[in-house]
Amino acid sequence: MTTRTLVVVSAGLSVPSSTRLLADRLAAATVAAAGRAAGDAMPVEVTHVELRELAHDITDHLLTGFAPAALRRALDAVAAADGLIAVTPIFNASYSGLFKSFTDVLDRTALDGTPVLLAATGGTARHSLALDHALRPLFAYLRAAVVPTGVFAATEDFAGGALRARIDRAAAELADAMARREPAAPADPFALTTDFAALLAGD
Amino acid sequence: MQFGIFTVGDVTPDPTTGREPTDAERVKAITAIALKAEEVGLDVFALGEHHNPPFVPSSPTTLLGWIAARTERLLLSTSTTLITTNDPVKIAEDYAMLQVLADGRVDLMMGRGNTGPVYPWFGQDIRNGIPLAVENYALLHRLWREEVVDWQGKFRTPLQSFTSTPRPLDGVPPFVWHGSIRSPEIAEQAAYYGDGFFANHIFWPKEHTQRMVGLYRQRFAHYGHGDPDQAIVGLGGQVFMRKNSQDAVREFRPYFDNAPVYGHGPSLEDFSRETPLTVGSPQQVIDRTLGFRDYVGDYQRQLFLLDHAGLPLKTVLEQLDLLGEEVVPVLRKEFAALKPAHVPDAPTHQSLKARVAA
Repeated sequence: MTTRTLVVVSAGLSVPSSTRLLADRLAAATVAAAGRAAGDAMPVEVTHVELRELAHDITDHLLTGFAPAALRRALDAVAAADGLIAVTPIFNASYSGLFKSFTDVLDRTALDGTPVLLAATGGTARHSLALDHALRPLFAYLRAAVVPTGVFAATEDFAGGALRARIDRAAAELADAMARREPAAPADPFALTTDFAALLAGD
Repeated sequence: MQFGIFTVGDVTPDPTTGREPTDAERVKAITAIALKAEEVGLDVFALGEHHNPPFVPSSPTTLLGWIAARTERLLLSTSTTLITTNDPVKIAEDYAMLQVLADGRVDLMMGRGNTGPVYPWFGQDIRNGIPLAVENYALLHRLWREEVVDWQGKFRTPLQSFTSTPRPLDGVPPFVWHGSIRSPEIAEQAAYYGDGFFANHIFWPKEHTQRMVGLYRQRFAHYGHGDPDQAIVGLGGQVFMRKNSQDAVREFRPYFDNAPVYGHGPSLEDFSRETPLTVGSPQQVIDRTLGFRDYVGDYQRQLFLLDHAGLPLKTVLEQLDLLGEEVVPVLRKEFAALKPAHVPDAPTHQSLKARVAA
């Protein structure tokens, strides 16, 4: 089967970060699930996008309207991805400002139909529904195909076995959605999609 | 090759003194800058059009008409004329009048504008930006070329038996450039008509310019106006110079850091790397500008932005001296030596008149 690209966006702010830890486990589980696909294993190429490293670029993009080179590479990777894992810490009952700012500078059609696994971290399980009341509507607006299982990890979850089961279920859903979708071809914003006769006719 | 300056006409406080010019002072400063452009031997002065503070040039033909009366040689242009929210009939009339008064020293650059509310203020919808640019220009193009026009479209009252006056000088409409940062439809429009394409080329990465000019050249050839390298291309550029490059950086930094558009964002160094901004010695400006040709090919017009971000008039006039004395003479010679014979110069009234006669 054709190699698929998986981009893992992680918005943790500290180093080391439990958000990145969760992102890595989700990525590994997705690669493993893709490798177990019955009959036809799907190779997956993983690219990590660590938003902390792009925080200045993201702010500059908001202010100037264009992406500096490193951010451009990250945005292009997301737009070309066959699957996306997006992981944010929950701050004040929602995604972090840095995470939202990154989604604000995504190209308009970057996530059209892209299979996405949503995940979040927080100090306690009381934040867990932020996945469904904050992240899901955002990605619905972006026209992403979000898989049914979201993964929330509170600090205490890094002890028990329940998190592992949720990670595996979500990863299997994402791998399955990526396998069922044709490899992505991102839109070129500079490509001419019409000609002058059509423009003049108001088409 | 033509060299000149373009201005958006922003009224911005000088961040080093806190002083903000009045609208009247800024208008007079723009006229002083234009006269200086002719004095130092530049070819083109282009004026923006805006209908909201902090910009003052709401009435470009009035201002350009004043400049035309006090200059002999300077070509007057726009950067840009709002083809979306202006009535194309009024553009046809106003700029034909200016062209007649300026003895043909006029061309225009069409643009869609950068302020959302300007559309509703003028009774339009920003979502129609491209369709407005296409329909309005199609009408303008006819008004300058057909004596009597019957016309019906989507955005304007129909016309029956309408004649736009004065008729263009010598029967030759002003040359038109179409400006756009990243809308391929506008490159297509410029190519279709065989008009010029101007890439803003300030505040944005060079990759935008490269893609847009490449598309325009390819479509220019597609529509049978010549080979791709014969298309008419103009570029913007943003510079600040002092004899010593460290002095230029030190003096310009507070203006950069507080500028509209990009201020409080990237550093001067980052922005100089990511966009065509050049802050340094005249030689650095020469080297960087010659490099533009590497990614757009031989081109016909280079306009510099010198007077924004609250720079005082005195400083801008000093910049014009450096541009006219040390930069442009070298660029003229170097670009001319590089340009193959089959690549045309930018059309002027005289060259277009000669073409019509032939």
